[in-house]
Amino acid sequence: MVELLAQTGLNALYAASYTALVAVGLVLIFGVMGVINFAHGELFMLGAYAIVAVYADWNLPYLVAVAVGMTFVGIVGLGMERAFFRPLRDNPLGGLVASIGFLMILQALVSMGFGVRMEHVPPVTQDVIVISEKVRLPVFRLAVILAAVVLLASLWAFLKRTRFGWALRASAQDPEAAALQGISINQTARIAMFIGAALAGVAGALTAPLISVNPHMGHSVIVTAFIVIIVGGIGSLEGAVIVAVAYAFVHTFVTTFFDGVIADIVGLLLLLVVLIVKPTGLFGSTDRA
Amino acid sequence: MFAKMFKDGLTRRRLLGSGVAMAGSAAAAAVLPRTAFAADKVVKIGFLAPLTGPVAAWGKPGLDGCLIWGDWINAAGGINIGGEAHAVEFVAYDNEYDPTKARTGATKLIREDGVKFIMMLGGDTWPGAQPVADRTGMLFSTLLPSDLSPDTTTLIAPCEVHPIYNVTGVEWLADNMPELKTAVMCAQDDALGLPSVATYLAAFEAAGIEMQDDPLLFDPATTDFAPVVTRLISGNPDIVCLDTCYADYVHPICEQLFQQGYGGQVISCTADFYQQIVAKTSEEFMEGFVFQFPDFDDPALNDENINFRMPNEFYAEYASRYGADQWGAVSWEYASIMDLWKAGAERAGSAEPDAVLAAMKEGGTGLHAFGEADWWGKDLFGIDNALVGNWPIVVIEGGKATIKEFRSIPEWYAKHGELLKKHMAAYGQMWDQRS
Repeated sequence: MVELLAQTGLNALYAASYTALVAVGLVLIFGVMGVINFAHGELFMLGAYAIVAVYADWNLPYLVAVAVGMTFVGIVGLGMERAFFRPLRDNPLGGLVASIGFLMILQALVSMGFGVRMEHVPPVTQDVIVISEKVRLPVFRLAVILAAVVLLASLWAFLKRTRFGWALRASAQDPEAAALQGISINQTARIAMFIGAALAGVAGALTAPLISVNPHMGHSVIVTAFIVIIVGGIGSLEGAVIVAVAYAFVHTFVTTFFDGVIADIVGLLLLLVVLIVKPTGLFGSTDRA
Repeated sequence: MFAKMFKDGLTRRRLLGSGVAMAGSAAAAAVLPRTAFAADKVVKIGFLAPLTGPVAAWGKPGLDGCLIWGDWINAAGGINIGGEAHAVEFVAYDNEYDPTKARTGATKLIREDGVKFIMMLGGDTWPGAQPVADRTGMLFSTLLPSDLSPDTTTLIAPCEVHPIYNVTGVEWLADNMPELKTAVMCAQDDALGLPSVATYLAAFEAAGIEMQDDPLLFDPATTDFAPVVTRLISGNPDIVCLDTCYADYVHPICEQLFQQGYGGQVISCTADFYQQIVAKTSEEFMEGFVFQFPDFDDPALNDENINFRMPNEFYAEYASRYGADQWGAVSWEYASIMDLWKAGAERAGSAEPDAVLAAMKEGGTGLHAFGEADWWGKDLFGIDNALVGNWPIVVIEGGKATIKEFRSIPEWYAKHGELLKKHMAAYGQMWDQRS
């Protein structure tokens, strides 16, 4: 039983790592721009397809492919900001609808470019750290966990220690007051969109060798990310990280000890309870609720 | 084809593949009766299956196979209906495995395209199309006889008796590896997964293999299978059964079994694109993997009892057009259904659905791809609209799928039918339990 608990804990850590990356990106975009980006799952998908193209098809090194994926998806995010979210800044519903339309466009483009079938991504490494007979941590999963920790720590440092980070936080707290202080709303929106999209892209790129890469893979990720950011409090980065970890642990343990369908029900029940007891989410403020 | 070949790079394998495929095409044209047909004599066949989305692996490869079948038939003079040669044309509609889209697609194919027969994957999409079938009397086929009921009089399952044939794999395993005593199973919680769970439970019980745990069901939206696999192998089972999981699940589950150190037997209904699983795990890990769908380059398919025409040449053409690693469980199945439909239409002298159906079922037997078979199913589905006979047991050996044996599904059912009905009823999968 101890070994089963330990292996499940390691599984949960991995699930928490990529869930947190996706959820934090989604929160950042909402926090600064006030837009619910429904196409966030497709940005995750684009990151995975960058791995298919650069790593699997062109045989370039995996880390190069991850960097390309992260940058490419960040640039796509910049394009979304300029094309959809900026013109619709005063119309949050318009931004949401535009993002839904864009997710369909992205799915169609990827289907046309790569086909609809699952893509094969060769394993980066098959090495496994054998802790005991029944507790094993694949090296690649460990790498994903460490990469997520490094990226989230870097984001935290960026937000807390740099002028751009302060500007982002100021815009998220009160856009009008930030603008009065000379902070460019357009620039902070661009930065937030680039970082948010890049985080989704890098999550897709990191996990691509471990999951089924197909044009519709963003769907399940976005559902989980929405549960996480609603429970954590829309707009709260800390809430997104903490709830991503907690949700991943609950879901993974329930899947292991009951089954995956019950785990989904438990996740949605958590969402329901939080919405009833604290509609702003566990770490959210009333301003953005 | 040649433009694509040179664009992608002319390799020895590609050149050889193309050579074999061209030889196959030439052989097909030579073997099949050649008649001239007027350009305006075209019979349209609907292909209503998932071409995109997670279930596309059981739709798109089938359409690809049908296009080869159509090219070969047309090259050989078409289908002789009532003394006149007709070219065959496939009209595809992507239902995305969505019942609403299946209904829209069925209506469109009948009203706008004028098709005479519609092939479906079935499952969750059949309830969408059924009202259209009831209203129009159109002949439909499904790969999933669990769609059949006494009300589905124009629905046939002439190729695949999913999931009943899965019993042959378990029976073979028990006969050849009697040391395997315990099993676990996982499945997605949907219309494909659940009847298959019931079938495997019956097969394991009939074989005297004990289930260590209840089947572990997971949400079809699952992407990370580490927790599922951790749970599955926690009791050191001799056999891990992957039920009828989609390719999108079989691949990551196998990878997780490999990474979490499982060294036992794996059995699955399908192993689509298994070369990719071998690449993600190892040849050693995949050695002995049992499933139910052969590659059609298998020499065992050249047996005189096999009714699928020129299977090796068909496989070569498929590999040449789409790549050998794109061959999947359904690549040949819809084409095999077309063989039966063509024979029925030619015998009936008509392409009208009721006439073809009557001709196909004449005498209560039919030439299934894997041998002569019976129209069967009243006991289990409430209607004898499934063509059931032998089914192959396929084992991966040296990284390649190999047919080990053909076994009779009716013979198994004659011995263990009550067990199957018991488990089907427990999962609400008998025809009178389905809503």
